[in-house]
Amino acid sequence: MLIDRMQTLKPEDSRSHIRCPFQLEQSASKMFIHFSYGPKLLDDRQQARELMEECVERYIEPERRSLVLGSMDRYFPLSNLITVSVDDPETYRGACHRHDPEQQLFLGESASSPGLTKGRLPSGLWSVTLSVHSIVTDTCEYRLRIWTEDPTTDQSAFS
Amino acid sequence: MRWLACELHTHTNHSDGKQTLEELTAGARRLGFDCIALTDHNTMSGLKDRERIESETGLTIIPGMEWTTFYGHMVTVGSMSLAAADWRRATPGNIAEGVAEVHRLGGLAGLAHPYRIGNPVCTGCYWEFEIQDWREIDYIEVWSKTFAPIQADNHRAFGLWTELLNAGVRIAATSGRDWHEQTETDDPLSVTYLGLEERSDEPLTVAAAAMAALGAGRASVTIGPLLTMEVRSEAGRAYGIGEAVPAGANGFEARAQILFSVRQGLWELEPQPFRLLITGSAGTIAERTIEPADGDYALPFPPDASRPLWIRAELWGVVRGASVRIAFTNAIYFD
Repeated sequence: MLIDRMQTLKPEDSRSHIRCPFQLEQSASKMFIHFSYGPKLLDDRQQARELMEECVERYIEPERRSLVLGSMDRYFPLSNLITVSVDDPETYRGACHRHDPEQQLFLGESASSPGLTKGRLPSGLWSVTLSVHSIVTDTCEYRLRIWTEDPTTDQSAFS
Repeated sequence: MRWLACELHTHTNHSDGKQTLEELTAGARRLGFDCIALTDHNTMSGLKDRERIESETGLTIIPGMEWTTFYGHMVTVGSMSLAAADWRRATPGNIAEGVAEVHRLGGLAGLAHPYRIGNPVCTGCYWEFEIQDWREIDYIEVWSKTFAPIQADNHRAFGLWTELLNAGVRIAATSGRDWHEQTETDDPLSVTYLGLEERSDEPLTVAAAAMAALGAGRASVTIGPLLTMEVRSEAGRAYGIGEAVPAGANGFEARAQILFSVRQGLWELEPQPFRLLITGSAGTIAERTIEPADGDYALPFPPDASRPLWIRAELWGVVRGASVRIAFTNAIYFD
């Protein structure tokens, strides 16, 4: 296992990147990234309404605010969003900008998960970046695990 | 001039889209587009089969990536290397560095849906980056989503574009559906037509010619007919969309051309007398009604009109009960 980390995030962590570097000692044939976070949704309607009031104040022109506030339910439930991007020792290997709170991703020589670029997995300093776009719940816990499939031992990571 | 029907803002399953590039391009073909830009969020991995799909469908695919940052979404298009610019380094004050990097990599950069509601509804969707010099920005997506002319956030974006033109900034305006999935809709769909120059000396690929057009502001946006325009001076010279009329040229007339025959059967407007107008920094300087048929119209500038900084043509009409801008050209400038 190259990385196995858990962390609890708070609303004030919104709009920040968490860089998770790791050393890949020898080139690999396949790399697995499992990322999950929760809770995904803000179920507390009162909290959601308060967040929406701030949001509308900030982004909607004054004459349309009451209209948007009157139909704010269409934006519910509000949700947390954290996305994954990957850098190998040389280049950017893409991002998985999607809402799924659990993502089982892989990179490989001939194929990769959608969002990530296929190609060789060179040894050196890699990094996975978690981009915390928004945390709306009081706390949100994530777990990130990264490991490789060694070309010589051929153990399937998913088995 | 060949006008290429483009959809400049699309997504696939490589980000949060619910469609493959095959499904997206097939859908674009059915809707009469000649060209799409694939602008997945923060990745270009969806372009791995670009060449094969282009040759199978005949559709031009412009490579792109939408910087999906915490402070704004920026569409970047026109180069396969755009992912080398690091979207994660963007801070509210340094977007100029990102734009410069996009340019260095051979791409163009535009504001995506700058007034869409932001966090936590749509994270980073509202443009909050400070821009010191608007001349560095290539375009603004002033029409987002479907039935774009009635959307309040699009009105604000259109207003921003007009304000910048009035301030002397020469900047293009586009539409982009922000197309994430193949769903049926009755809503009017926007098309950005890009004007491709005929060049025999140095033939460009269609994608490169389209990017040259966007960079030069040779664009016209519509939910139906294709509206184009040129300005003729007294001396008989003609200046097209995106061009600048040099100082010294005088005595103008605008010539608008409207093609209702484009993308036939793929859009519909209730028959009515439409309002064609030439407007700009000096207000509306010419106006007439037109019938829904292909046509060329001469709109002379009134003799007492002061020389504008810029003009554009607009087509207005009633769509689903609302009086809306159906089409608009990008600007012609006056030095």
